[in-house]
Amino acid sequence: MSSAAIIFSNLNTNTLSRLTADRTVAAIPFACRYRLIDFALSNMVNANISNINVVVNYNYRSLLDHIGSGKDWDLARRAGGINCISPYQMASSGSAKVYSTHMEALRNMTAYIDDMKEDYVVLSDCHCIANIDLKAAIADHAANGATITFVTTECAEGYTSKNPVLMFGTDGEGVVRDAVISAKHQDNAPELSTGIQIMSCDYLRRLLIEAEAHNYRSLTYDVIMKNASNGCYRTFKHNGYFAHISSFTDYFKNSLDLTTNRGAFYSLLGIPERRIFTRVHNSAPVSYLSGSSVANSLIADDCVIEGRVENSILFRGVKIGRGTVVKNSILFGGTTVGRDCELNCVVTDKSVTISDFCRLSGHESLPFYIGKKRRV
Amino acid sequence: MYLKKECIAMLLAGGQGSRLYDLTKHTAKPAVSFGGKYRIIDFPLSNCINSGIDTVGVLTQYQPLALNEYIGNGAPWDLDRNRGGLSVLPPYQGNQHSDWYKGTANAIYQNLQFIKKYDPEYVLILSGDHIYTMDYSAMLKAHKKKGAACTVATIKVPLEEASRFGICNADSDGRIYEFEEKPKVPKNDQASMGIYIFNTDVLIRYLEEDENDPDSSNDFGKNILPNLLKNGEPLYTYSFSGYWKDVGTIKSLWEANMDLLGSTPAFNLHQRKYRIFSRNTARAPQLIGTGAKIENSLISEGCVINGSVYGSVLSGGVYVEEGAEIYNSVIMADVHVAAGAKIYYSIIDSDCFIGENVTVGAPDSKDDIKIIAKGTKLTNDSEEN
Repeated sequence: MSSAAIIFSNLNTNTLSRLTADRTVAAIPFACRYRLIDFALSNMVNANISNINVVVNYNYRSLLDHIGSGKDWDLARRAGGINCISPYQMASSGSAKVYSTHMEALRNMTAYIDDMKEDYVVLSDCHCIANIDLKAAIADHAANGATITFVTTECAEGYTSKNPVLMFGTDGEGVVRDAVISAKHQDNAPELSTGIQIMSCDYLRRLLIEAEAHNYRSLTYDVIMKNASNGCYRTFKHNGYFAHISSFTDYFKNSLDLTTNRGAFYSLLGIPERRIFTRVHNSAPVSYLSGSSVANSLIADDCVIEGRVENSILFRGVKIGRGTVVKNSILFGGTTVGRDCELNCVVTDKSVTISDFCRLSGHESLPFYIGKKRRV
Repeated sequence: MYLKKECIAMLLAGGQGSRLYDLTKHTAKPAVSFGGKYRIIDFPLSNCINSGIDTVGVLTQYQPLALNEYIGNGAPWDLDRNRGGLSVLPPYQGNQHSDWYKGTANAIYQNLQFIKKYDPEYVLILSGDHIYTMDYSAMLKAHKKKGAACTVATIKVPLEEASRFGICNADSDGRIYEFEEKPKVPKNDQASMGIYIFNTDVLIRYLEEDENDPDSSNDFGKNILPNLLKNGEPLYTYSFSGYWKDVGTIKSLWEANMDLLGSTPAFNLHQRKYRIFSRNTARAPQLIGTGAKIENSLISEGCVINGSVYGSVLSGGVYVEEGAEIYNSVIMADVHVAAGAKIYYSIIDSDCFIGENVTVGAPDSKDDIKIIAKGTKLTNDSEEN
């Protein structure tokens, strides 16, 4: 039983405007040292999947930079490994539109799918953060013979999302009875799609031939919604940590949740047999100087801390000056905060410099964002 | 196949490091962990790649398992190359002789085939016992400029400690007229760092002569360098100024770790000029809890800190429970320090468990660094307290 995988790096970009101004969704930094794609990739690698195709469409340079040869995920292979699929534009096609849906992207890469030697294929988006036992999900799919198995999670009562997502109602045995597309909790469909679905390679190939014949544009609308009540789909429920990043506020809330919610932290990052891999840098351990005081925070390598940090996430190489207080903030890699500053509910993008004595504050519901390389 | 290189490095990593006691019981000294996320061997290997030397033979002998596993194919240092790169050179069985490495010179002698394969003009000899960053290419430049047969890197040491080192007595131009290995009465304070650049032909000639001398102890400092001098070969010093620390003893290993701390550390790991490469593991970011107090410390990935850490260096995956206190210590990977435990002036090797209310070391034991061997479980009932 072997599986290949396809990761869609950028198909949910519109609602994350600031963070995706110059990166794909997959390349959004998260939890100190990761990028969103690391969760999808690690889930796959931990399920022994070693043929992974990453579909990219726009501004994917930082993603390519992050993935490199794939070595950090053990995916630099002669056979298989990781492979980025960029839009295939013919010189003659002029300004033809680049694919914007899963179905369009899949139809654009039929040659790769035809070549897959594996039994199953896992399709995954990048906007969901979870440490999922995909091995069990694939085994469940293989054992039950569903057409598609969707990896889902319990949808909380008050759940809302900036953009509508797939939700399922099942018969209690995992067979899908209902599917809805909604931006908030639905009583008849209490399972939320994690953006991961499993099917056989043969089925995907047949599906793409059918899609070509009927000119399907959307996997969700033209296929899934039409067949949802046929009893041919199943769900596999993931019970651990799950975060769906549909907006900047989602991002902020879910990030900071990791600093106080120990259960969330361990269920995402503390499972010894399912580690989350990421690109490694050769950076020094964190230096805590005298006068530093840190509580409820996640700190990445190469930071130098002289001030106070509370409920915050510091990415690599962040410097916090003497007398500075940072609360409820997320500082991306290379941010330098001078001395005697006060930061509250601030998100700085990469390599931001904040001079001495600055006071910056946003609000939990509206964090203050500072763009890449800006100086304050 | 054409493999010619101008300069290749031979790194002597077979030493037992017996003065590190329990720390090197199952590990070669170069694989001993240092500075949170590094191993001692990261420093010479990173220096090589930062100096443009891409062919390195690593000579291993003593307890090589951890070292071999750590080095792997050299990928962390960008030394996984099709031409050159890193090669591990253990002692081997030949068709006439089969021998362990008898001394530093003999170790290189046994690998002359490796050197000859690359037909280099120069061979750089390094050891895996020191913490420093150095540009070997500047030393090579000086070597060429002086027209030396051999250049010995030297560093100024306190005169009272000079008798622990090989001392180079040289004229004002840096030409060595006398080399004394651990002299009782040192004539000056220029100590050999154990880093040599040889012209390859000279190296081969002297190693072969040395091998035929049954009275030789096959050592660079004791035999090879004195023989070169005796024959009037041009030997020069290359004086290095910068941080350099031998970490061959418990005390010096502890001191070198402490040298990383503070806002102006004696040895700064946060510099960009000479990046130190190491094998990185995918650990979670460090989680600093509510009750944590951390000052003047270096903490690595995967640590969870809920207690107090002062003036210490923590490797990856260390868990410090609330109420635990660590002072002036080096804690290696995956150690668990339970509530109420106190650690003073200690080096705790990896995978130890320091139980509740256990005290290791004492607040005034600076001159007696306590070592806890790998995997030790200390509880208040255990005898080791």
